[in-house]
Amino acid sequence: MKLIRPVVCSIIVAVTVAAPAFAALGGDATSVQADLLRMKGALRTTSSAAFTVHEITTSYGTVVREYLTPGDKVFAVSWRGPVIPDLRQMLGTYYGQYEQAASTPHVGGHRHFAIEQPGLVVQSSGRMRAFSGRAWAPDLLPQNFSANDIN
Amino acid sequence: MRKFVALTLIQLGFLAACGGGGGYGGGGGTPPPPPPMQMIATPGPPNVETMTVNSGPAGVNAVNTAYISVKVCVHGTSTCKTIDHIEVDTGSIGLRIMSSVLSAAPAITLPGENDGSGNPLAECLQFADGTSWGSLATADIQLPVSGETAANLHVQVIGDPAYPTVPTDCTGMPENDVVTFGANGILGVGPFIQDCGSACVAAVTPLTVYYSCPSPSTCAAANASLAEQVPNPVTLFGTDGNGVIVELPAVASAGSATTSGSLVFGIGTRTNNGLGTATVLPEDPNTGWITGTYKGTLYTNSYLDSGSNGNFFTDSSLTLCTSNPKFYCPTSTMSETATLKGTNAATLAADFSVANADTLFSVTSYTAFSNLGGTNSDTAGFDLGLPFFYGHNVFTAIENANTPGGIGPYFAY
Repeated sequence: MKLIRPVVCSIIVAVTVAAPAFAALGGDATSVQADLLRMKGALRTTSSAAFTVHEITTSYGTVVREYLTPGDKVFAVSWRGPVIPDLRQMLGTYYGQYEQAASTPHVGGHRHFAIEQPGLVVQSSGRMRAFSGRAWAPDLLPQNFSANDIN
Repeated sequence: MRKFVALTLIQLGFLAACGGGGGYGGGGGTPPPPPPMQMIATPGPPNVETMTVNSGPAGVNAVNTAYISVKVCVHGTSTCKTIDHIEVDTGSIGLRIMSSVLSAAPAITLPGENDGSGNPLAECLQFADGTSWGSLATADIQLPVSGETAANLHVQVIGDPAYPTVPTDCTGMPENDVVTFGANGILGVGPFIQDCGSACVAAVTPLTVYYSCPSPSTCAAANASLAEQVPNPVTLFGTDGNGVIVELPAVASAGSATTSGSLVFGIGTRTNNGLGTATVLPEDPNTGWITGTYKGTLYTNSYLDSGSNGNFFTDSSLTLCTSNPKFYCPTSTMSETATLKGTNAATLAADFSVANADTLFSVTSYTAFSNLGGTNSDTAGFDLGLPFFYGHNVFTAIENANTPGGIGPYFAY
């Protein structure tokens, strides 16, 4: 991953430890405990001057990352693993927009999916037991942040 | 390249076509060896099914999608129905059928599958592009051409109107009808024995895959034993239960209205399904991935997949289409090569070409394109889909299964 330097800290905390906030796309950092409990995961936080990444490895092996601005706003999320996480939880208030945009016909078959709208991009690919995907709100990206760095 | 009538040649028992693409550099000296002959097994008993690439059920307009027919029966009875346009998918596991197809006259009702507590089971099945929700049922199935059978098979009935309430934690774009799904059903014959496997057996928080339904509106995520899960039907095919071969003839560069080939069951179990000169590429046992190197870049998440209707990979040098911006539209057809590598040291060249997808799609009556390429949002992903299968016999061996090429999971061609 091409992080913007410098990486300030990288810590791993257990579920029961008071942890930095964590939330869905577009949300504020308020719901980390709920998300961690729900995913039965371990949290790893990586921070730089420009953004913070909260990474949860779920008990079933899917790695979920949420990218936050210094103001603790989630501007991107990603996932990789055997199961696609709860998209309603991941996309938060953007889920309705995703549902509406996704309902139009697409041509990529069952393995590849993408919607690109002015306010929301969602990409998903993979096959049974090995999925990956990411979503971001272009309006919320920090300056000089490339969406290619969401992985 | 000359077009040919595939069925006629198949009736002769074999079909010759160019194996692999790409040109030869030329120069003086010794001419290159002729490309290997592709032998396509004759459909019929005991292990070869007819497989067709066409536009799919009404309203679907599929491209590069291979279909077979499956006969489903109420267990232990002669109450049966043959369903066409079941997609052949080496990238998923299990037989899933649209409820609307089962209930169309002459309707057939498959008995539901219950969990240990006597509650009906349902499933939220994830694909990258959406999810299919429906009840689980038990059926005897027979593949009508080969005669392969599986008794008491767990199948998913997608879009079952008896379970109209999709649980709120079953998220993703719903694909619960024929047109949205793109087929009357899907036959997942990929490298695993069950669709979910051990991850769904004893999770502290059950995965949102299997659901126990005390009532149709109160389905809740639940663990499911391996025996309760939807299995790869091939694993119930006895002698031929260790894997499949997808055998489709080469397709002309402009595409083809339709093409036909064979879905062969078993690897090295008969005289018609040996590995021959194919190279075995063992897969990661958890993900089913092999690796690929393309233009100097390593793609750790690579696979061969009949359920992908294009070859999907990242190449910023290829122009994107204007009409179909997820596909590539180079001004002239490009010949490309990836080097595939299994978890052992074996490597294998994968030659393919990428044509202008907007031009290909402009012939709306064509459904088979060997040179269709598109983008992959997984930047580490290299997905060789059905376009690559044309002209190659592609083997998919199932996890833990013994074959003459070793124990699965592996790809080979």
